[in-house]
Amino acid sequence: MSLLRVENLGIQFGGVRAIQSLDFVINPGTIHSIIGPNGAGKTTLFNIITGIYAPTAGDIYLDNVPITGRRPHELARMGMSRTFQNLQIMKTMTAIENVMVGRHLHLNRNLLSCLLRLPSVTRGDRQARKRCVELMESVGLGAYIDAEAGSMPYGALKRLEIARALAAEPKLLLLDEPAAGLNAAETKEIDEVIVKVARSGVTVVLVEHDMKLVMGISDHILVLDYGRKLAEGTPDEVRANPAVVAAYLGNVGNVGTVGTMGTVS
Amino acid sequence: MAHNVRPSGYSKFAKKQTYTRRMSTRKSRAQMLLSERGGGMASLLLVILVLPLFLANDYHYDVAVNIGINAIVVVGLNLLIGYAGQISLGHAGFFGLGAYTSAVLTAHYGLHGLLALPIGALGVGVLAYAIARPVLRLSGHYLAMATLGVGLIINIIISREAWLTGGPDGMYVPLLEVFGTEVYGGPMWYWIVAATLLLAVWLSLNLIDSPVGRALRGLHGSEVAAQVAGVDTTRYKVMVFVISAVMAAVAGSLAAHFSEFVTPAKADFSHSILFVTMVVLGGMASTFGAVVGAAVLTLLPQFLADFADYEHVILGLIMMTVMIFMPKGLVPTLAALARRGARRTAR
Ligand SMILES: Nc1ncnc2c1ncn2[C@@H]1O[C@H](COP(=O)(O)OP(=O)(O)O)[C@@H](O)[C@H]1O
Ligand SMILES: [Mg+2]
Repeated sequence: MSLLRVENLGIQFGGVRAIQSLDFVINPGTIHSIIGPNGAGKTTLFNIITGIYAPTAGDIYLDNVPITGRRPHELARMGMSRTFQNLQIMKTMTAIENVMVGRHLHLNRNLLSCLLRLPSVTRGDRQARKRCVELMESVGLGAYIDAEAGSMPYGALKRLEIARALAAEPKLLLLDEPAAGLNAAETKEIDEVIVKVARSGVTVVLVEHDMKLVMGISDHILVLDYGRKLAEGTPDEVRANPAVVAAYLGNVGNVGTVGTMGTVS
Repeated sequence: MAHNVRPSGYSKFAKKQTYTRRMSTRKSRAQMLLSERGGGMASLLLVILVLPLFLANDYHYDVAVNIGINAIVVVGLNLLIGYAGQISLGHAGFFGLGAYTSAVLTAHYGLHGLLALPIGALGVGVLAYAIARPVLRLSGHYLAMATLGVGLIINIIISREAWLTGGPDGMYVPLLEVFGTEVYGGPMWYWIVAATLLLAVWLSLNLIDSPVGRALRGLHGSEVAAQVAGVDTTRYKVMVFVISAVMAAVAGSLAAHFSEFVTPAKADFSHSILFVTMVVLGGMASTFGAVVGAAVLTLLPQFLADFADYEHVILGLIMMTVMIFMPKGLVPTLAALARRGARRTAR
């Protein structure tokens, strides 16, 4: 059974059809990558799936439940979590507070309990803090626990996004270019984190330009071009697909970052 | 800490960092007193206890009580503006509604003051809730305009319905009675307002350092990130708007009984602006900043009264100077300076 099913999806901004009649399925426990040149509609697709944009056509199902048009916080409650390509960091908070916002749904959020600082609130916060520290250490943010998020370097913020998304303990995690702008060593670390997360049973949807990373860790790849599906399949199938090769992959065999796929948008 | 850390995010002194972190999770009593929570509450309590020694006459008490009443409003408003990042230019309207509910219910309908106060608070809470949903969908200038409109409408209604409110001339308010004794005079009011302020500060500190508080600060930092983390941002904005309105209403009720007289000026636009200015001057997103902001802007006009015509000009100049040199407001700027000083002496 599929975890996420997208049927005939479409969205239009004025005259621009950013996504057109798109169908695909994501199976649980897999790493599913979405690739395509800048402007192909990958981020837009994430925004639709996570409820930030309402599609102009089509349907989305999570665990066979129709979720089209549901709001982001409802989808979070259903087990969805994501990171943002253009960082969305709460800059006036500390790093660990950012991660603890990610744990929101697991904490006592009763207004009266919070106003009166009942033991259940402080106990929950203490446990959450401990968990979030572990989580931050596991993504290599051990040195930044109480740092002001606003003063952290870019590479650390990329990881902070991942830690915050993981803190929610999602069953579906969408990562929008987690390795963009990172150097080779950092990319490798992110790569390890993603594989580790996937091994723990979380289904990962990955948008990434780094072909080495994508080809290395994906179970399934969807290729988008101008908002349409160009190809999909296993990494080998996609690599061998003539349409993909013709369009832009070129010499994916010896990989690296593929030049024509452009830079971070 | 920034230069101890490599760009990759790994510390050169990983061990040492972990060690300090482990130390800092278990706070010593000294650290507790230096923290905003413990130390701030202790200092506020100390000031409240010591201040009466310096209050020599009714006028002094009058100013002190007004500082307390304003501080209650500003602590609430700071939750909305400083922490959740939403603006309101209409909170004097809620303050005025609280004041007039107490005035009308006790003067015209003979209700007990201690019953009228929660009725006013509840009524304002319900009204704020009804207003908040459509209004808080707006943001920035639109939210400012909408809340300004709400305040204006409340003010106009209070001024127009003279049969109930006495119109522009205002109306008398009976004394508040607590446990069979009438609350009268500066000292008694001082302790009532001080206790209410301490309660307001305590609730505010509790809220901010809780999952709800982090959600509020989070939606200020990035609304979309808060949403995908599961925060129903609209609901939280409405919640904090209602809380701040209720706190303004309670302060209004106290003010009405304290001065034994209410006028529509309590609900007017310039009063709303004054509250916002107190938040900004004291320091956004600082509960004690809110108290300091209220104190400074209630006190300053008293000192400047001698300058008569130039009072407002001088007030404006002082505020401009503070905001240019301390854009984060008084308390956050001074706290940062103190922290830097402490670190220097520690080295
Ligand atoms: N909010 C929006 N309003 C108008 N156009 C948009 C909006 N979001 C995305 N687009 C357009 O949709 C297309 C796909 O963009 P995007 O999803 O960001 O691409 P990708 O993430 O694959 O680089 C682009 O042409 C972009 O300009
Ligand atoms: Mg994108």
